[in-house]
Amino acid sequence: MAQEQHLTVPGRYECLAQISDFVIKAAREAGLSDDDIFHVEMAVDEACSNVIEHAYARVQGNIELACTVPEPGRLTVTIHDQGRPFDPEAVPLPPMGEDATLEMIQEGGLGLYFMRKLMDEVTFSFTPGDGNTLIMTKRRKNSQL
Amino acid sequence: MKIVQEVIDVAGGKVYDIAPEGRLDAVTVPALETALQDQLGGGHVQIVLDLSGVTYLSSSGLRAMLHARRQAQAGGGDVLLSGMTPRVREIFEMIGFNSLFHVFDHVADAAAAFAKSAAA
Repeated sequence: MAQEQHLTVPGRYECLAQISDFVIKAAREAGLSDDDIFHVEMAVDEACSNVIEHAYARVQGNIELACTVPEPGRLTVTIHDQGRPFDPEAVPLPPMGEDATLEMIQEGGLGLYFMRKLMDEVTFSFTPGDGNTLIMTKRRKNSQL
Repeated sequence: MKIVQEVIDVAGGKVYDIAPEGRLDAVTVPALETALQDQLGGGHVQIVLDLSGVTYLSSSGLRAMLHARRQAQAGGGDVLLSGMTPRVREIFEMIGFNSLFHVFDHVADAAAAFAKSAAA
């Protein structure tokens, strides 16, 4: 049975705490572990910070969130904005790893790298006239789903 | 965000201990950046960033650390980290940042590393 919860807030930094509270509650209700919940909180925080910093850098708008639990132990978070188009392909991923050095690491792109490391699935899309949609999925560790 | 700062005298100079408390996210990181810049801009390039009171670390916090370490190294110093909580340590290891910074258990250990470096 899919459950769905929604939250719409202005795209401003002071709303990040409210967004965190919303996704933490949804992740807990989805049956995720404490570690998983922390990862979801971080990924959503990174995503919404990026929306505020980049998509809504020049215009104001809302961030719309939807949390769906398609089945126990699995949470899908959808984040929608109507700001500037975001192209993840245009963001170089940091060359992280054991061989990385301080000189190699660019300060941009870390947020996107975070999201991909923290979540099981991360998908971006942009529709002219509608905006950016980010869909992220987290599965409970040790889950057979 | 509360940031506690302390000056520690060590052999060969002074170490500047900066200890933010609470969440290091897009909202609070500017305060940390200001604290770091206040020291680095004044030529105080031996810095220990005490993370024992940090409960949450976003990429904006990591960017601030990267930027500060580069700046400190350019001035002949460094930014050393200490006191990571298990949560923060997990984030560091997950994204590979543990290979980019020197991490110590306690502020005193990091300060001693500066003293040892000065003596070498």
